[in-house]
Amino acid sequence: MEFLLTLINGVSLGGIYAMIALGYTMVYGIAKMLNFAHGDIIMVGGYSIFVFAATSFGTLPPWVSLLFAVLMAVIICALLGFGVEKLAYKPLRGASPLAVLITAIGVSSFLQSLAQVFFGSAAKFVQFPDLGSLSLGELTVSYSTLITLISTVIVMLALTLFVKLTKTGRAMLAVSEDREAAQLMGVNINFIISITFIIGSSLAALAGLFSLMNVPFIKPTFGSLPGIKAFTAAVIGGIGSIPGAMLGGILLGVVECFSNSVPTLAPYTNAIEFAILIIILIVKPTGILGKKRREKV
Amino acid sequence: MKNVFKKVVSFTLAAALTVGSMFALASCGKKNYAKDNETIKIGVSGPLTGGAAKYGIAVKNSAKMAIDEINAAGGLYGMKFELLALDDEHKKENVTTTYSAMYEDGMQISLGTVTTAPGLEFKELSKDDNVFVLTPSATGDDIVEYSNAYQMCFADSNQGTASAQYFNANYQGKKVGVFYKADDEYSSGIYEKFIASLDQSFKSAGVETATFTGDGLDFSTQVNMLKDCEVIFLPIYTEPAAAFMKKGVGVISNSAIYYGCDGLDGVEAEFGTWDEFMAIPQEVSFLSHFNSKAESGPAYDFVQKYNATYDSDKEPVNQFGAAAYDCVYAIFEALKFAKENLGKEFDESTSPSDYCDILTEVFNSDSFVFHGITGKCEGNNKSDISWDDSGFVNKQADKYVVKPAN
Repeated sequence: MEFLLTLINGVSLGGIYAMIALGYTMVYGIAKMLNFAHGDIIMVGGYSIFVFAATSFGTLPPWVSLLFAVLMAVIICALLGFGVEKLAYKPLRGASPLAVLITAIGVSSFLQSLAQVFFGSAAKFVQFPDLGSLSLGELTVSYSTLITLISTVIVMLALTLFVKLTKTGRAMLAVSEDREAAQLMGVNINFIISITFIIGSSLAALAGLFSLMNVPFIKPTFGSLPGIKAFTAAVIGGIGSIPGAMLGGILLGVVECFSNSVPTLAPYTNAIEFAILIIILIVKPTGILGKKRREKV
Repeated sequence: MKNVFKKVVSFTLAAALTVGSMFALASCGKKNYAKDNETIKIGVSGPLTGGAAKYGIAVKNSAKMAIDEINAAGGLYGMKFELLALDDEHKKENVTTTYSAMYEDGMQISLGTVTTAPGLEFKELSKDDNVFVLTPSATGDDIVEYSNAYQMCFADSNQGTASAQYFNANYQGKKVGVFYKADDEYSSGIYEKFIASLDQSFKSAGVETATFTGDGLDFSTQVNMLKDCEVIFLPIYTEPAAAFMKKGVGVISNSAIYYGCDGLDGVEAEFGTWDEFMAIPQEVSFLSHFNSKAESGPAYDFVQKYNATYDSDKEPVNQFGAAAYDCVYAIFEALKFAKENLGKEFDESTSPSDYCDILTEVFNSDSFVFHGITGKCEGNNKSDISWDDSGFVNKQADKYVVKPAN
């Protein structure tokens, strides 16, 4: 029973990591950059939910107000992702990867400091309507856990189908394969990269929602650790691969919860998670589901 | 013969060079950056950004408030104070920069650091320059290792032992659980002392332990591990504690008791009223030197004034701030004491090292007792605070019930 409960907790936490990792992986796959500000977009999403849920509570029924807050968070994050790409990353297209990386770290500290200016450094409690929990015999699983899990699976499927079946999706694939060739075939690179950032940032808003449903506190550094964990998850699963992000996220969440449940291992949980990353990088540098790319000379 | 002469000359030159450079270094260390000061400068290094920012900001705001009060009331024999506060982001490696910047800016007296980890670096630097340190909130036992350093807060060992004594006296027969942060000196330091002083009867019944590391706040696993405990000791800070208690609703028995240390102070100010938002049914209490929930007396007055001066919604007050407020007044009173009782002379341009010698003598003196807002205040009277020669504070802590069981 303990085992099952830990497993469910792990899968639920992994679902949150997976949702963030999807954003990392898409941006990396298409724009070929590590967007280290991704975690802070989750934070912005969290604060948006906090603000809009707080202002609309009381005037609207709780469920409606929550959905309204989530919708606003998705819109704000999508606009933010779009704006950050246009202002900070686009001028650096073609610059060395290091310059882009440093810029991303700069954007990250900028967003964190901005949140501290607006909301202060102390954590805020975010109120959610009580969703209750599902009892199956001895096992009790909260509905928020189930919602997180189901949503992650839906999002992953939708994203896979979108990439495979739509024209924009296939253009994304083309850009990720060979940017110059795609451009020559008439694909609008700027549009595709913008769309990628918008999708990734909307997913970050949802990740913010699920993190808050799990732990209802928000502060300016809210997205840092989940961001790094999700990045690890994306690399473990194979960066650039959508199912890989899902797999890596869930794997990491389960490892985290099981490690925490063993008192002797618990202090080393983070170390264990990052050790897995190192092992994967040594044994299979492309990640579990990453594509092997043959270098042409 | 010529060779011998060469050797002698070169040896003499080398010796002269060494001695000369030693003098140069020595005079460098003695340089008084404060000689052009127009105010007495008090420095503090603390996290003003990042995850621990609320503690540093509370310290900065409260120290500023005390200094403004003192200056508005005419200062110390006409001399005004000034606060230097720099951001170390709660990182040890930033302290060399914050310390040197403040030292070269004319810092004469210091409040050390806000948190323990950076304080371990600060103590070495301040010892080398002989700068006085009275830290509001760096609780590590090692912080006051050298003779120039004192604490306004209780040392970790003191809190761990005092908590264990409270358990031994009040919670016999109950199953004890502990939830602490394994990678934090404050939390693990208190935990070790707590376990060491806990009665054998608790240990034979089995003490459940759960831990966490880093900034993560998902504690579903840990709550599950401690679900059968009747008293849960939480030597951690407010955010993880609140996240733990929130997750514990419906899992941990409603009759269980949550018991924390001074890190738990401010939990209510930050998260709003318990019944309305958190819906936590268990009793929550903590052992601390400051009661931010006081309804009258010096602690209450301080909280009121703080909330009127600063945006309490963004930067709520906590015991870190209260301790910093006391630190500034303790330095003020100590300097007064030095002049009136020990006949010491000082002014705005006195060097840090001279201030350190003066203040150390006062703080080690048995007749210097400071009356502050931290410690146990009876009614409207301020508390009695003194220091032993090793730098630890002597004052009374109290168990504060933040919220009774519903």
